[in-house]
Amino acid sequence: MSFLERQLEDPVRLRRIKRAFYVGLAIVALAEIGLPLVLGAGHPHFAFESFPAWGSLYGLVSCVAIIVISKLIGKAWLMRSEDHYDHEN
Amino acid sequence: MSIGWVHPGLVLIVGAWALPFLRGRVKRAAMIALPTAALIDCALMTPGTYGEIRFLGQELVFGRVDALSLIFAYVFSIIALIGMVYALHVEDDSEHVSALTYAGGALGVTFAGDFLSLYVFWELMAVSSVFLVWLRREAPAVAAGFRYLLVHVVGGLFLLAGIVLYWSQTGSLAFADMGAYAGTAAWALILIAFLLNAAVPPLGAWLPDAYPEATVTGAVFMTAFTTKSAVYVLIRGFAGTELLIWVGAIMAIYGVVYAVLENDARRLLAYHIISQVGYMVCGVGIGTALALNGATAHAFAHILYKALLFMGAGAVLQMTGRRRLSEMGGLYKTMPATLGLYMIGAFAISAVPLFSGFVSKSMVIAAAGETHMAAIFLMLTLASAGTFLHTGLKLPYYMFFAKDAGIRAEEPPRNMLVAMALAAVACVLIGIAPGMLYEHLPYPVDFAPYTLAHVTGTLGMLGFTALGFFLLLKQLDPERKISLDTDWFYRRGAAVFSTLVTAPLTRLEFGVVGELYEFVIRRPVLGVASLLRRFDSVVVDSALVGVGRSTQRFAELLRGSVSGHTQQYALIMAAGVLALLALARFVS
Repeated sequence: MSFLERQLEDPVRLRRIKRAFYVGLAIVALAEIGLPLVLGAGHPHFAFESFPAWGSLYGLVSCVAIIVISKLIGKAWLMRSEDHYDHEN
Repeated sequence: MSIGWVHPGLVLIVGAWALPFLRGRVKRAAMIALPTAALIDCALMTPGTYGEIRFLGQELVFGRVDALSLIFAYVFSIIALIGMVYALHVEDDSEHVSALTYAGGALGVTFAGDFLSLYVFWELMAVSSVFLVWLRREAPAVAAGFRYLLVHVVGGLFLLAGIVLYWSQTGSLAFADMGAYAGTAAWALILIAFLLNAAVPPLGAWLPDAYPEATVTGAVFMTAFTTKSAVYVLIRGFAGTELLIWVGAIMAIYGVVYAVLENDARRLLAYHIISQVGYMVCGVGIGTALALNGATAHAFAHILYKALLFMGAGAVLQMTGRRRLSEMGGLYKTMPATLGLYMIGAFAISAVPLFSGFVSKSMVIAAAGETHMAAIFLMLTLASAGTFLHTGLKLPYYMFFAKDAGIRAEEPPRNMLVAMALAAVACVLIGIAPGMLYEHLPYPVDFAPYTLAHVTGTLGMLGFTALGFFLLLKQLDPERKISLDTDWFYRRGAAVFSTLVTAPLTRLEFGVVGELYEFVIRRPVLGVASLLRRFDSVVVDSALVGVGRSTQRFAELLRGSVSGHTQQYALIMAAGVLALLALARFVS
């Protein structure tokens, strides 16, 4: 068993990895909010960039929007069976 | 060619033909030596104008060497080298010759200073690259290759038409900034041809149609040259064309939407080429020094990480024989090296700090910020999240993790891993030492990617994209479906169109055209013909017969005078002489 396999196959370790992921997210979001307060805001190009944890929020919103909207377009219109083009003429 | 300057494209195009005559180790050495020679050739070049030839009264320039052409030439040579390493095990000379010719064509386009030589290399790229699709030697690949070739032939005709118009209007073939001709037909035709090769929707469906059908090793070359040489000519000729800002931003999202729906691993990556080239096209449209530097830098970084991603997906395809994400899973157990190298490319395309995309893509986004285009800024950032979502999360998750599909594929041949490692090293190197790339950009660079706000903002965006991915994981399960793209118009649309028009056309043909023909042409012609025939039989024939008969009768009459007696002849002659004398006397 390889190193990766040991981490992923063991439910205890997998839970630990998940927890570390969430802690990491929290740290990043907090850093995004906190660091401009401590070190100054830099020079954002747009007002919305100064919103607390803008990057994290926009990332989450983008991801959900992309998945939901693309799937809707796909189901309603674009997705066809794999042999769609096989019966030409 | 002037002495002292050798065209690196020529090195590849001519050198490629030595490969079929070589065997074994010598051949493999030559496969490495040719792109290496081209790279060294480029590295030794100094800016200037070389290879000027007068042809048909026109000045052709094969060697316009400046910062912009050099940086593209560097990366084209580098990827040709990496691609050849990846293909070292392939025992198919025609594939190697095609790939090297294709790379040489891209270098030719890069150094072309006039439209005529540009056009020749442009077409050479189309013709040589289609073999990389055909050489997979399967029916779908052959069909996709023909579609690819037809689209590019049409694009080439647009380019040729534009060039001819441009030449007739200006009397010159020089290829430079086209801004002065904006809005003319020549400008539009050339722009359309360039956008077609850049795979800009709705002209770009050829890319996700053909690339996933190419050979495992050929696809690596294809990801690099066609779209990026188009980006190069756009930077050269169409910088600051506002239309391109929106076209590019829409393109960046377009590729992402299709990637959500895609099940074929290499087709998913192909849609992300469209998305990534969108950033470059957008940068060209913005047209500021930062934006053009960004488009150039992103093209450089993109070629390396996209080739790495295609090499990873290609390695999986080769070792498992499977191309659908829905049939893979669990490969991390037996292909950890492929996974690791693939992930470096995935982090690079996702613009994770310390990887190449972070220092190149951000230049384009920052340029949109500097010029206060909020909508563009938001669209490009959204597409960034989508890039990580698919290339960094969805594809590796379903390919290497997810439900174990029970495939126990081995790692690919060593040369493939070495090639992937070379590209991976380049991705990381650019990420940690961006100055190495920045110093070769066409404009002086005043841009610092590693600011605290940029790093934390990017990490936040990527982290929460990952969170969204795991929350919506069930939604993303790949389905055994394909998605309609604009290639529908020539794959099915043409058939539908022809059935639609066949019935009315048939009725028109038999009902109107046929009747018209009957009454306007056939009947009058037949009438006139029968008239003529009767005239012929009655007048002409009887005239001929009459002439014949009277001649015969006259001849019989004359025959009576020919008796054979000399006295009689003498008498006739004497009578004749007397008659003549009498006539002469009478007349005078």
